[in-house]
Amino acid sequence: MLNIALPKGRLGDKAYRLFNACGYPCAAMEQDDRRLVLVSDDKRVQYLLVKPSDVPIYVEHGAADVGVVGKDVLLEGGNDVYELMDLGFGACRMCVAAPEGFRENLGAPLRVATKYPAIAKRYYAAKSRDIEVIKLNGSIELAPLLGLSDVIVDIVETGSTLKQNHLEILETVLPISARLIANKAALKFKTCEIQPLLATLQTILKKGENA
Amino acid sequence: MEQSSLARREQLMSALGTLYESLGYARFSMRRFEEYALYLENKNFLKSDSVLTFTNPDGKLMALKPDVTLSIVKHARRERQGLEKVYYKESVYRLAPTANEFTEIDQMGVEAMGALDRYAVGEVVRLAVESLRAVSGEYVLDISHMGFASGLMDAAGLNAQQQETLFALIRQRNAHELTRLLDTEKVPAYFAQRIVLLSKLSGPFPETLERAKDAVVCEGMAQALDELEALYILLKAQGLSDRLLLDFSMLNDLNYYNGLVFQGYVRGVPRVVLSGGRYDRLMRRFDKEGDGIGFAVYLDELTRLLAERPAWDADALALYSPMDDPAKVSAAVFAMAASGLRVHATTEPPADFRAEKTLRFDGETFREV
Repeated sequence: MLNIALPKGRLGDKAYRLFNACGYPCAAMEQDDRRLVLVSDDKRVQYLLVKPSDVPIYVEHGAADVGVVGKDVLLEGGNDVYELMDLGFGACRMCVAAPEGFRENLGAPLRVATKYPAIAKRYYAAKSRDIEVIKLNGSIELAPLLGLSDVIVDIVETGSTLKQNHLEILETVLPISARLIANKAALKFKTCEIQPLLATLQTILKKGENA
Repeated sequence: MEQSSLARREQLMSALGTLYESLGYARFSMRRFEEYALYLENKNFLKSDSVLTFTNPDGKLMALKPDVTLSIVKHARRERQGLEKVYYKESVYRLAPTANEFTEIDQMGVEAMGALDRYAVGEVVRLAVESLRAVSGEYVLDISHMGFASGLMDAAGLNAQQQETLFALIRQRNAHELTRLLDTEKVPAYFAQRIVLLSKLSGPFPETLERAKDAVVCEGMAQALDELEALYILLKAQGLSDRLLLDFSMLNDLNYYNGLVFQGYVRGVPRVVLSGGRYDRLMRRFDKEGDGIGFAVYLDELTRLLAERPAWDADALALYSPMDDPAKVSAAVFAMAASGLRVHATTEPPADFRAEKTLRFDGETFREV
């Protein structure tokens, strides 16, 4: 049986619809219940619903063979897994944003509020810019408004939250989308189970691109 | 009779030691620490950058060793005749993969340094296969050759920094980002296609080798495939080819490794349990003559596999009363132990204790209850 880790929430729902289309349906997933482990009717797959940032951890440690996760989580965690496919959905951008009319003071370290300290540090280290990271867990947009930070590094989907809070995008750090990841050992021992899934996914994604 | 996990682990270590000694590998033992500078200068050779350091009374920064190969190569003789074969069983100190804490890890491994021919290389790889077999019948040895990827990158005219970025993506089998990056770097399609192919070239040895032949663009790549084929033929002749995979997405650091590289997996362990390769470049860095090849078995990764708690803590729980004659109890208990049973003699069993059978002392001997 193949263990698939899906992030709870919208991204996970989309991922399940894709797996369903690939021929891995699971009646229990369609019902709105609170179980975290859901086995498909034909017992071919088992879906694990976990917190998005835990998906790569489940996969790295082999509790799940494959998983679906946003590139943001993957970069932040730095887990040792295969990143096999860009699934295309869940597209957004990791951006640097600041209050409208912000002028950076290059004479002082930049104060950066973010949920993604590792990504922020790496990004500014590559530019040799000295920063002070303030790790927050939510409502990042609030930080520069209250003077907690100069800028924020966060995910931007449509930009409407930024606009409402009078923030604007300064730079794009990188594009984000959902990725299919796999455990390194699982790919060697469960090849016959994982390969058909990969092949079907690829065909379906290609069809979607052409459509 | 069931064995405790500790016993199984020790048995494995002793079996590996016997195996290596039977092929003329001499035990190499060393100090627990080295100067920190050794690891600082060779950071990329280590599995992780975190090193446990302390200061010597004379103010020198020292480190508890996180790796053994560096020490062996550093302390090896500069000149040598023939092949020097050593194995080690040492503790190394590394960050635990799960927690941000240092742990002491048992590591065993083999190194062969000097004039390496195809037999000698085959011997070390075969020892790696035999080591995995000693752990579990369900193993896989992933094999690759650094010359294949580096030959391609050099032919494409990519610099060291670009190569490092590409290597990281190939290791993740991240074909989608690899394609995008090669596109932005304006690498000609002829090379770009082949570089992307590296991330996908893995599978059963003979088929993958055939597919790889189409990607060859230079002498170095052809030579790499030639070496891999020779190794496959050697292992096949010993009936050891079934569980070999060829995987060109597996890449080690180019500053140290140049030729063959390999990694072992066993079912039930989610990470690499054995890792090794050809490190002629490491030998050069330390100004030593000859080539080098070796591997390490990560016994810490095997802990979980070997650490299942046995169903029985003892074969027999021997209960006696404080009123019984200690001499008679002693005679009976030791007699049972001598007959091969694991006996736990006590007046009251520890909590959560399970024995296959429970015996009670009747004044003369132990009888089953």
